Amino acid sequence: MTARETNPGAPDGERPPPVRPALDASTWREIAHLLMNLLTSLVGFIYVVTVLALGVGLTVTVIGFPALALGLLGARQLGKLERARARALLGVRIQEPSPMPLRKGGGMFQRLWMALKDPVAWRTCLYDFIRLPWGILTFTVTLVSLFVLWPLLPYLARGLTNVDRAMVRGLLSPSDELERRVRELEQGRGVVVDTAAADLRRIERDLHDGAQARLVNLAMGLGLAKEKLLEDPDAAAAMVDEAHGEVKLALQELRDLARGIHPAVLTDRGLDAALSSVASRCTVPVRVTVDLPARPAEAIEGISYFTVSELLQNISKHSGAASASVDVWRSGERLLIEVRDDGRGGARLDGGTGMAGLAERLGAVDGLFVIDSPTGGPTTVTAELPWRDRESEPQRK
Amino acid sequence: MRVVIAEDSVLLREGLTRLLTDRGHDVVAGVGDGDALIKTITELADGGELPDVVVADVRMPPTHTDEGVRAAVTLRARYPDLGVLVLSQYVEERYATELLAGSSRGVGYLLKDRVAEVREFVDAVVRVARGGTALDPEVVAQLLGRSRKQDVLAALTPREREVLGLMAEGRTNSAIARQLVVSDGAVEKHVSNIFLKLGLSPSDGDHRRVLAVLTYLNS
Amino acid sequence: MATHYGQGYGEWGGPGSQGAGERAHRLPAALRAPFEGRTWGEFCYLLLGLPIGIVMFACSVTLVSAGAGLLVTFLGIPVLAGALAACRGFGALERARARGLLGLDVAAPEPLVVKGDGPMAWIGAMLKSGTSWRQLLYTLVQFPWAVFSFIVGVAFWTTGWALLSYPLWFWVFPMFGGQGGIQLYGDDMHRVYLDNPLEISVTALVGLLITLATPWIVRGLTSVDRLLVYGLLGPSRLATRVVELESDRGVVVDTAAADLRRIERDLHDGAQARLVNLAMDLGLAKEKLTEDPQAAARMVDEAHGEVKTALQELRDLARGIHPAVLTDRGLDAALSSVASRCTVPVQVEVDLPARPVPAIEGIAYFTVSELLQNISKHARASRATVDVWRVENRLLLQVTDNGIGGADAAHGSGLAGLAARLDAVDGVLVVDSPPGGPTRITAELPWRT
Repeated sequence: MTARETNPGAPDGERPPPVRPALDASTWREIAHLLMNLLTSLVGFIYVVTVLALGVGLTVTVIGFPALALGLLGARQLGKLERARARALLGVRIQEPSPMPLRKGGGMFQRLWMALKDPVAWRTCLYDFIRLPWGILTFTVTLVSLFVLWPLLPYLARGLTNVDRAMVRGLLSPSDELERRVRELEQGRGVVVDTAAADLRRIERDLHDGAQARLVNLAMGLGLAKEKLLEDPDAAAAMVDEAHGEVKLALQELRDLARGIHPAVLTDRGLDAALSSVASRCTVPVRVTVDLPARPAEAIEGISYFTVSELLQNISKHSGAASASVDVWRSGERLLIEVRDDGRGGARLDGGTGMAGLAERLGAVDGLFVIDSPTGGPTTVTAELPWRDRESEPQRK
Repeated sequence: MRVVIAEDSVLLREGLTRLLTDRGHDVVAGVGDGDALIKTITELADGGELPDVVVADVRMPPTHTDEGVRAAVTLRARYPDLGVLVLSQYVEERYATELLAGSSRGVGYLLKDRVAEVREFVDAVVRVARGGTALDPEVVAQLLGRSRKQDVLAALTPREREVLGLMAEGRTNSAIARQLVVSDGAVEKHVSNIFLKLGLSPSDGDHRRVLAVLTYLNS
Repeated sequence: MATHYGQGYGEWGGPGSQGAGERAHRLPAALRAPFEGRTWGEFCYLLLGLPIGIVMFACSVTLVSAGAGLLVTFLGIPVLAGALAACRGFGALERARARGLLGLDVAAPEPLVVKGDGPMAWIGAMLKSGTSWRQLLYTLVQFPWAVFSFIVGVAFWTTGWALLSYPLWFWVFPMFGGQGGIQLYGDDMHRVYLDNPLEISVTALVGLLITLATPWIVRGLTSVDRLLVYGLLGPSRLATRVVELESDRGVVVDTAAADLRRIERDLHDGAQARLVNLAMDLGLAKEKLTEDPQAAARMVDEAHGEVKTALQELRDLARGIHPAVLTDRGLDAALSSVASRCTVPVQVEVDLPARPVPAIEGIAYFTVSELLQNISKHARASRATVDVWRVENRLLLQVTDNGIGGADAAHGSGLAGLAARLDAVDGVLVVDSPPGGPTRITAELPWRT
């Protein structure tokens, strides 16, 4: 399940190891956490109550708001400690909230206001405020069970720490998901725009270096042949012959270029036919299975096609595989692509084989790209794309 | 005539070489990029064997942008007697302006398509080698379209515009007469009318005439 | 959302602002205002505001304080989440009320994003969502305002109508409750009643003025409500931006894919078809070369013409894909080249301190190129100008012509597509083209280097 673990979009998917009657390391850590609860919740409670009471009480004077802001900044630090503790002892995987952008200019009052309305700090205050009774309860129960109920202790510890985990996740997780999403989307859009522009430049280059050059040569050959046709028919015949060969080569080149731009069969017949055609040109025998209830949106279809096409090219070039398979299916709102080969493995995102580019392109449209390729093989590459239904084609020039 | 060819596509380089050799010209060297072109010409010039003309592609390694034009401009500045004919898949008036900056002596800028008309192409190479001018009709059309003197240009008759275009391409009066199937005298009359309307003083040398026309269009 | 709000607000801006169809009324707007449906809608809004405000305020204050009080026992958390959920419900109700009575269309805020299953996840999401807290704030702020606006609105309305109809009252009940009319002043010595005709008509006049003023006062009061609903119950700025960006990204992905399909089709229909033809010609010529040299010569000649056309086509296609001079020399050279191909004389001024990234350069190029094509085709202009410059972190393009004008970004002539393309990269296209001209089209792109 490499896919699941490297899936950045999934919720904190970690599960603690199953509970066993014997006290193993993870149980000891949980117990330690429960015992520490008393001290930390006491400190937290006292801090929050003092700071808030002082801050709110002083708001009638000038220093009230700055004091409150400082107190909230401190609460943020407490939250940080708690997250670290949960990470170390409970194995909770939780992201740090984005730091306060206090340095980023703005006047004195603006910064003050920012600190005062910081949602992360307020939620941390809430967390510390409600923890005291829980801290007392867990400390007592755990301490007593340590001596009295020790056979049940692992189960008890797991149950109690699960509540802790929920509290940490609910109240101490970052709250700027929207900001992060905006940033991510802006980046994604930038990547799409840039790659589209780069694609067009590449096509123009290919056209210039390939078909156009060949046609110039052909035109020259024909021009010469035309002149010689009547004076020196034999030489002219050779030239026409040569030109004939040349035009066939030019056609071949144009066809390859067109396929690289956007294969006609993909527009006409969809992924199944297009992927079969790519597979048949691969040096390795490839089994293609496409199981889709309908055709996805054109852009998604295009990205899927080029992903598979590039992966198969990689397999031809680098894998040393004897056979490969391509599976495409839909699961809920996602389009899934799996490309497997029995080659020598060792494929990596940073291996310079275009994998990083693929991952970036997929990431830009909320897709995922996961490589599982132990040295010695086999290699499985899974790509995931958002499913979008095909609409009436947007007519754009 | 001694020619150096700079073209990165081996196919085209050989095609051009064959074409020119076929016509009895001597292709001294063939190179694949701008730096090599400058180096080769410098070596030849140092040996006292400066070629008559260079035929250069615009887009060459290593950057695949406009090496050819840059190299051509450098060579023209360094060796005023060297004819430079730039070939390209596309023509841009900006490059034409750069090539023509200062002088239209021994310079050419043609679309690669023009090699299809073998005789005309070889004529153009020879013309450039002898210090004449060869501009692609497309470049001339762009220069005419780009000119800010539209009011004056509008005063020309269609035939006069045609003659102006051919003049800007670098053709002699007799070549223009052949092209338009008229007598030399008729062309001369058109030319003097054009110079009158544009307010230019008539000049005798063909390339000076081209320069006058182009400067007028560009100003 | 700002535009929605702006439009809705402008349309309902004052009692006098009428659509063209209603301009035929004989009464001036000021006299009509008290009887207009819109005024009644707003008045109803004020009346309803109080009872609804009381319920909302009571509910949320009770639940929130219960939740806050119970926080120490941990039971407070679900209660607090419940309170927030109730506030979200109130928010939906209030948006509907504003839509029905004020004609203010505020979109629903982004739905709750619950990660994972179970009540804990839901509670966490509810407490974390800024939207929930904004709805709570609305229920707290709306109440005092509702009390104030209810009192003011009702007082003005009743006083106005009562005084206006005073002559009627006085005529029907000359003595009422032992008093002869409204008592203006009274102490042990004097009592002043409004009972002579002059006083009565002055009273009625004051009533009329108040009645006429009431719609404006009501409007003023409800505009604060509009602000509250719009500011606190609508989707947040960030959520709107996310929606916008998601659709933008869709547009750029689709446009890129459509571009590639178009190029493929052009290649297929143009150069490829021509080359197939050419190959055929040459094949035939090869066969005939020895038997019928004249026919062969004709075929070679044809093939020669064909290959020249193919080259021309490929060159045009390549320029349409990406002009090489743009990569080599940047916008100035590339735009000069486009301008020189335009049928209208164009003056190009590019004033840029540096070159922007290729993607932006490309979009700028194709925008100008399409605008100039439009000018060639539709504008019937005799001259045009192109200006490109940079202002802080924006790249500005301005294309003007002295043609017939009447260009419209709403439909047709490719301007709509252009506007969508620019919008997708946070650009703007502004068309200023009165019928009869001149036309001035300004495009703005983000500057990136």
